[in-house]
Amino acid sequence: MEGFVAQKLNDYATGKMSRRGLIEMLTLVATTAYAGSAKAQQAGVKAALINHVSYTTPDFRKAADWYSKAFNLDQVGATDHDVALPFGKKGDKPYGVTADDVPLTHLIIRTRSPNAPPPAGPPRPRATASVDHVCYTIADFDREKVKTELTALGATKVRDSGTASVMASDPFGYEIQISGLASTALSGGG
Amino acid sequence: MERFIADLVKDFDSGKVDRREFCQTVALAALVYAAGDAAHAQASRGFKALGINHVGYLCPDFAKARDFYTSVLGMQNAPGREAQNRTSVMFGPEPGKGGQYIAIRNSTNAPPQSQTVVDHVCYTIANWDEARVRGALKAKGIEPGGREGSINLLDPFNYYVQLASAAGENAFKR
Repeated sequence: MEGFVAQKLNDYATGKMSRRGLIEMLTLVATTAYAGSAKAQQAGVKAALINHVSYTTPDFRKAADWYSKAFNLDQVGATDHDVALPFGKKGDKPYGVTADDVPLTHLIIRTRSPNAPPPAGPPRPRATASVDHVCYTIADFDREKVKTELTALGATKVRDSGTASVMASDPFGYEIQISGLASTALSGGG
Repeated sequence: MERFIADLVKDFDSGKVDRREFCQTVALAALVYAAGDAAHAQASRGFKALGINHVGYLCPDFAKARDFYTSVLGMQNAPGREAQNRTSVMFGPEPGKGGQYIAIRNSTNAPPQSQTVVDHVCYTIANWDEARVRGALKAKGIEPGGREGSINLLDPFNYYVQLASAAGENAFKR
C-alpha cells in the first residue's frame, strides 16, 4: 500500500497526475483496499472477473488455432461448433485472484450454424452497443517484439497504442490489443 | 509438438520463414522437447498471455453504460479516467495485478455487421447465491433469464451480458 501511494505521489509531484486525479485515486484505494467481505456481500452483485468472452466467427477451428498459437492457450471442451481456450491450466487460479470460486478467464470461440433453431424466448432486440476490441495482458511486454510477432502471426494493421500497448486486427478482421502489466484502468490505453 | 511443426511448415511454405530459420527452429524445438519441456517448444511463437486486460465497449451514451455497470455489476469508475466521451469501469483484483476493466466510449455509429464479433461477455460472480443475484437484479428493475448458475440479461443498449458462478461456466467443466 505504502509503495503504491508513494508512486502516485511521485506521479503527482512530477506532473504526471493532476491534483484531482491523485485525490480520487487515493480516496478509492483507502476506501477499498481493506474492504471486508461483509461489504462485498451487501453490494449484491459484484463482477469478480471476466468469466469468458464469446467470440463468434465463420470458422471457429481456424480462429481457435490462431488464438492458441498467438497466446499459447490450450483448447478444451471442443464440440462441433465451439471450443474453450482458458488462460492457464486446469487447477490454476486466475492471475491476481485468491478466491477459490473464480475460475480462469477463457475465450469461447464459436461458429453459429446457419441451420440452428432460433433461441428460445422472445426475439432479442438489436444491440446499439458493441465490444469493438479485446485487450490481452502478456508477460514481458516489449513493444517492438510484440509488433514483429503479431506481423509474423499474420495480424494486420499492427500499430502503437498507448505507453505499453499495441493494436492490430486478427486474421479474421477483429481488433485486438496487446498490453503489458503497466497498462491498467488507471493508466488508460483502452 | 505436431501442431507446432505443422504451423512452422505452413510458415515455411508461405515464405514467412526461410530454410535456415526453419531448420534452426526445428532443431531448437527438438532440443527443448528432449529436455522434457515441450511447453517451451510451443512458446517459441506467440505470447505468454496472462489474461484479458480489458474489453472496448462502444455505445451511444457512455454515461448510461457507466451507470449500469457500476450500479448493477458493482464495478468502479476509474478515478481520473473520465473524459467528455469516455470512461473506464474497473473490477476484480487491483489494477496491474489481474484487475480488468471495460473501456467505454461514445460512438454514434451503429455496430458493424461483421461476421466476426464478440457477441457477449460473461462475468463471474463470486460467492454465488442464485436467489440473491436474481433478487439484486430485480431490485434494479432487470428481469433476468438463464438457468441455474448462469443468468443472462441485456444492458441499456441491448448488449447481451451473462453472469455466472464458477460451476455454471467453467472451461474445464464443459
